Amino acid sequence: MTQEREPVARSRPMTGLLEGVPLPDLERAPDYERGFWEGTREGELRIQQCSDCGLFRHLPTPMCPECSSLEYQWTRVSGRGFVYSFVIVRHPVHPAIREKEQTPYNICMIELEEQEGLRICSNVLHVAPEDISIEMPVQVTFMPAVDEPAVVLPVFLPAPEE
Amino acid sequence: MVNAIIPAETNGIRDKAAIVGIGETEFSWDSGRSELQLASEAIKAACDDAGIAPQDIDGLIRYDMESNHETLLTQSLGIKNLRHWESVSYGGGAGNAVAGHAAAAIAAGYCNYVVCFRAANLRSGLRLGRARGPERIPGGADSFAVPWGNMAPAHRFGMFVRRYMHQYGATSRHFGWVAVTLREHASRNPRALRREPITIDDHQNSRMVVDPLHVLDFCQENDGAAAIVMTTAERARELRHSNTLTLVEAAAQGSGPRNDGIIYRPDLAVSESENTARDLWARARLDARDMDAMMFYDHFTPFCLVNLEAYGFVPKGEAKDFVEGGGNIRFDGGLPVNTHGGNHSEAYIHGLTHVQEAVRLIRGASTAQPPHKIINRVLSCSSTAQLSGAVIIRRG
Repeated sequence: MTQEREPVARSRPMTGLLEGVPLPDLERAPDYERGFWEGTREGELRIQQCSDCGLFRHLPTPMCPECSSLEYQWTRVSGRGFVYSFVIVRHPVHPAIREKEQTPYNICMIELEEQEGLRICSNVLHVAPEDISIEMPVQVTFMPAVDEPAVVLPVFLPAPEE
Repeated sequence: MVNAIIPAETNGIRDKAAIVGIGETEFSWDSGRSELQLASEAIKAACDDAGIAPQDIDGLIRYDMESNHETLLTQSLGIKNLRHWESVSYGGGAGNAVAGHAAAAIAAGYCNYVVCFRAANLRSGLRLGRARGPERIPGGADSFAVPWGNMAPAHRFGMFVRRYMHQYGATSRHFGWVAVTLREHASRNPRALRREPITIDDHQNSRMVVDPLHVLDFCQENDGAAAIVMTTAERARELRHSNTLTLVEAAAQGSGPRNDGIIYRPDLAVSESENTARDLWARARLDARDMDAMMFYDHFTPFCLVNLEAYGFVPKGEAKDFVEGGGNIRFDGGLPVNTHGGNHSEAYIHGLTHVQEAVRLIRGASTAQPPHKIINRVLSCSSTAQLSGAVIIRRG
């Protein structure tokens, strides 16, 4: 038995960053996190990498969880990856998102191509929520935060299949 | 990772401590009174149930999110000398962990009567499900999540649920059967906040809040307090419930390897409850087949499936079939689950009500008491939270 499916009405895609949400205070961010934000301001996605064993890690930490080295560097990565998991927020919890009617929006965990399990949290722009799927290839881009342009955030765009 | 692989074997608390009293306030959307008032009322009720006076208490174990610190309670309860106190961290991860800590304090002889409690106005006061905090984030995990709108528990746990669905083929309907069953249990429970029965269609048609989670997948946010009293098994034989001892047979806590809740873990569909379960079963020298019921921390319904698998009630990926139709997890089914209605429908008191319900089941006092079997052992466990705890309560 085949079921006729109603065509799904597409919700609008995100076209930019959320407005009015809390942003990091880079002056107060710990030393071991700053390289990430310095990179985004220069239009590069830099991920903390152990100087001894080469393991990438995110979230940033002072010590390598694999080899216990305290030495690390900020390495520019390609910014290519895929959607590992995602949610579509349809009912907002933050007043600014509610007041500015910024739903629906997506939150995606992006797995970066450099290392299995290396993931960052972001949004994927210019794709309807109904069209986001696990394993969808994406490419990083950068946008200054609407409310504080000195904070530059990485976001992702759909990328062609390799 | 050696210590994560070799199961713990020593069980220094086995059957040393008994839960002799349980008590709670009414659960509501607006208690209209202070958290100290709520804590005092719930602890008094638990002491009344045990047949002791609040002044007999000499140990207090609270959640670290608790606003009622020890010195407030010593004054309010009339405790002359508090011999032992602890606070246990990590939100719902403390839910069953507090009971394990209490049993250890009794086994060690640190105190005679220890109380675990949680009292909070989580609806009329600070709501955990709401975004909060400063307008500027001083670094840390939130600074790598909140700017993209990842700011509530449902966002993080929804990420886990999506991945779990992807890997094991579970669907929202499976979560719906958990919701329907827990609501049915709550419909029999006069303490419960949500007693109106729901159907699978009600679940499927309910508002999508954070896709893949419908509003009927969420726990409640409410006001209220709950408390349990523990003492030695010997003293328990002198107290009110001496005919039915409820002993703490084993306890365990466990973690995952990564920061920030769950979103960075190596496999987002694997729960740290697997670590907790491995140690719990090794210490108890039991397994899932020995349990007559499971109380699990139902912050979101999908974690019923996750816990059924993590604790080995069913093989990985098969929980969706086990919960289908709800029959297996109903109070009259093969494995009664959250017979009080859980966080989902009774009330959200950070997981402490699950330990209370385990005690009721063994006493034969649940409002959804399984009609077909004697309940001798109950697993009460927290869910995926990054840090989690579990206890086995058994008939003495």
